[in-house]
Amino acid sequence: MSDASHVRFSQHTLSNGLRVIIAPDRVAPVVAINLWYDVGSKHEQPGATGFAHLFEHFMFQGSRHVAKAEHLSIVQGAGGVLNATTYFDRTNYFETLPSHQVELGLWLEADRMATLLDAMSQENLDNQRDVVKNEKRQSYDNRPYGSFYEKLMAAVFPEGHPYHHTPIGSMEDLDAASLEDVEAFFRTYYVPNNAVLTVAGDVDEAPVIEAVERYFGPIEPNEQLPPFRRPHDQPALAHREVVPDDVPLERVHVGYRCPAYGTREFDALEVATQILAGGRGSRLHKRLVREEQVAQDVAFFALPLVAGSSISAGWVTARPESDAATVEAMLDEELRRMTRESVTDDELARAQALIESSELSALSRMDEVADRLSMYAMYFDRPELVNEQLGRFLAVDAEAVRDVCASVFGSGERATITYVPRANEEASA
Amino acid sequence: MTDSLAVLDQRPQPGQPREYDFPQFERSSLDNGLTIIRCHVPGRPLLQAQLIVHGDAGGGATSEPAEHAGATVLTARAMSEGTTERDAVAFIEAAERLGAEMGAGAGWDSLSAHVEVPRAHLAEAMALFAEMALQPAFPEREVDRLRDERLNDLQQVMADARRRAEKAYPAVIYAEGAAYARPLGGVEETVAPIDRDVLAARHAALLRPEASTLIVCGDIEDLAIDDLVDAAFGGWSAEGDGPAMPSTPDKAASGRRVVLVDRPGAPQSEVRIGHVGTARRIDDFHALSVTNALLGGLFNSRLNMLLREERGYTYGVQSGFDMRRAAGPFAVRCAVESDVTAPAVADIMAELGRIADDPVEDAELDAARDYLIGVFPLRFETSAQVAGALSGLVVHGLPDDELDRYRPAIAAVGADEVRTAAAAHIDPEGASIVVVGDVSKFEGPLREAGYGEVEIVRDDGFGAGDE
Repeated sequence: MSDASHVRFSQHTLSNGLRVIIAPDRVAPVVAINLWYDVGSKHEQPGATGFAHLFEHFMFQGSRHVAKAEHLSIVQGAGGVLNATTYFDRTNYFETLPSHQVELGLWLEADRMATLLDAMSQENLDNQRDVVKNEKRQSYDNRPYGSFYEKLMAAVFPEGHPYHHTPIGSMEDLDAASLEDVEAFFRTYYVPNNAVLTVAGDVDEAPVIEAVERYFGPIEPNEQLPPFRRPHDQPALAHREVVPDDVPLERVHVGYRCPAYGTREFDALEVATQILAGGRGSRLHKRLVREEQVAQDVAFFALPLVAGSSISAGWVTARPESDAATVEAMLDEELRRMTRESVTDDELARAQALIESSELSALSRMDEVADRLSMYAMYFDRPELVNEQLGRFLAVDAEAVRDVCASVFGSGERATITYVPRANEEASA
Repeated sequence: MTDSLAVLDQRPQPGQPREYDFPQFERSSLDNGLTIIRCHVPGRPLLQAQLIVHGDAGGGATSEPAEHAGATVLTARAMSEGTTERDAVAFIEAAERLGAEMGAGAGWDSLSAHVEVPRAHLAEAMALFAEMALQPAFPEREVDRLRDERLNDLQQVMADARRRAEKAYPAVIYAEGAAYARPLGGVEETVAPIDRDVLAARHAALLRPEASTLIVCGDIEDLAIDDLVDAAFGGWSAEGDGPAMPSTPDKAASGRRVVLVDRPGAPQSEVRIGHVGTARRIDDFHALSVTNALLGGLFNSRLNMLLREERGYTYGVQSGFDMRRAAGPFAVRCAVESDVTAPAVADIMAELGRIADDPVEDAELDAARDYLIGVFPLRFETSAQVAGALSGLVVHGLPDDELDRYRPAIAAVGADEVRTAAAAHIDPEGASIVVVGDVSKFEGPLREAGYGEVEIVRDDGFGAGDE
């Protein structure tokens, strides 16, 4: 008997264009409601970066029937948890509730999709701008190596590219945002025909689709959704930067352009990444951390970005008795080895066994099931990928791993950003 | 459009709640005294087993010798770095072939080893799990590397404002020399002398079948768990008396302290305010849970509504009790913009001051209770989460019906119980203040506020040469 979970679901589309997925699962009396809007930082214009994320905060500032911050108190008061995240390609909103509160969750999401502007005010704009600035200070500015994400994306994707800036955006741009800008953003993107709604958990399909139709059905679509402009060809990538910072250990960050999320090549890259750095049995950990003992830690990953290409990135933190140049040279050797030699059958089998467990773990949580259904529907119009993705990972062979590594790491085109302790930098200057 | 949206005017009523019970579990034991807890969680083919070495609560870092502080955490980490049967890489690869995530960790009260594995591989994984738990070799090369990594990590702590604050805080609120005053993972002076013999001795002292419990959770109805466990752990025996316990790991500092750790130019201040809290096993646990939820546990808590939504000082503020066998810390935590550090501290102090005195409003009480009751089932979706809850019962010596009792006990908490619990467990006058940030931005106002004598700490390597 196979241990693989199978997610059962149905798909519907309302007349206003809202895509709806319902996935009944009776294991626990909980329901996950998940709403993806097809708007992220890649849709932002120069001079208006950080806008999608700032807007995410407004979605908690009230709507016609919900007071400021009441959205959270209603969900928590109903015994639920919720959050929202803004990414390059999309913004998602999600709550998990006791299943008898499913209508409440749908009503809350419909009320803010339909009537958010009723509660919009200059006061809310100013307050949430302050909160976002503190979020940036806490998550990036006041962390060792905290600027790497912004620097790496800016280096790997050229000016004008939709992934050139990160979702947190520029604080100067946020300062320039007006109430009119926020309202226009809402009218453009927060519309039913730009969203996917998933309801997963302890529910029956018929009453849920009836409630969705009742609350979301009357919301008008935007017939003039702006088309997303695909990024143009990108120039050759050769970026090196040294960043003096308040850090005790040197660290090298690297970033490569890679195939977009959703391609077979990206699946192979995920397997390659698992073999490279996915745990203590991985190549980078074994060589740099365990055998040579030059690294304090290693990481390598690929971001799931869909607009034409994505980024494969990693870092190595040098131990005090080693240095950035040494660990970078070893990292290069290991990456080059991936482009030339096939990984062994055992490495592939171990990587795939770990990926399988990780998929099983993810699909045992309702919120994750709902999030994946929304994602696969929005990005690829294929929610059935929720049941197919594991098979795709398991179908990757050694040749596919080598091919994708050759195409991503083989050219040597990459961004390299090295953090050095301020003291070292002064000493060497 | 407006008319058709009238359907939104009416907030929907909840449907009929479906019953939820924490999954049933059963106990048994092996001849060597090892307790087994089996918990069937339907539809969860990824299983979780945890070996909880509670030593009747001397199984964790609390009972380690002060001169080797950090040894218990390192012992746990080194257990998966090679056994008497195979070296570290061979062991790790054997686990990976099964799709198993295997390792061990230590807290103040227990050492615990865990394995997460698909059901199909449980038998093989259980044997490997026992090998890790009972026959670790503590190879010198691996132990030295893990120790050096911890020493390097302690340097990284100094560079990270949040971690720096977490390191400073217990040392401020607990008396010097109390176990809880130090970091769980130890400090430079205590970690540096640790070698493989220290870890092997620690392992031998802690790992005792009669003071351990093996928990297995997931879709296990059809599996002969006891037989598998007996085959893997049946031969386990231990000698000696087990670890000695210190008398008061939770001895408090003699009074409020105000400690400012200087980070010239820091964009934010990391703030910690509070005092020694309480142990887990107390009669008013449920009342205190509700109290903390409405003070700083919920998004709409008093603290977060004031500091985030009204003032815009912070991305978020939380309060919490870290409940251990003895009294762990109570802390309010937030990161605030440097310029508003002093007013933020004043706001937090004011909220701590009014929790026991001011009336508790029905709405906030309802929100806190309904939240805690409602999210209870959400906390136990995966096998690992269920095993974690059961390990809490084991470590704290709580009765088997503790989890079944949770929701009715929370529902029964009233406004009076909240204020009584607050008066018993939250002491604004005794609350210490720790801030890691640009001291020039808030030293003056904090002195003027009169919280007490202000101590300023300047770490080496920060701000030197900039001024």
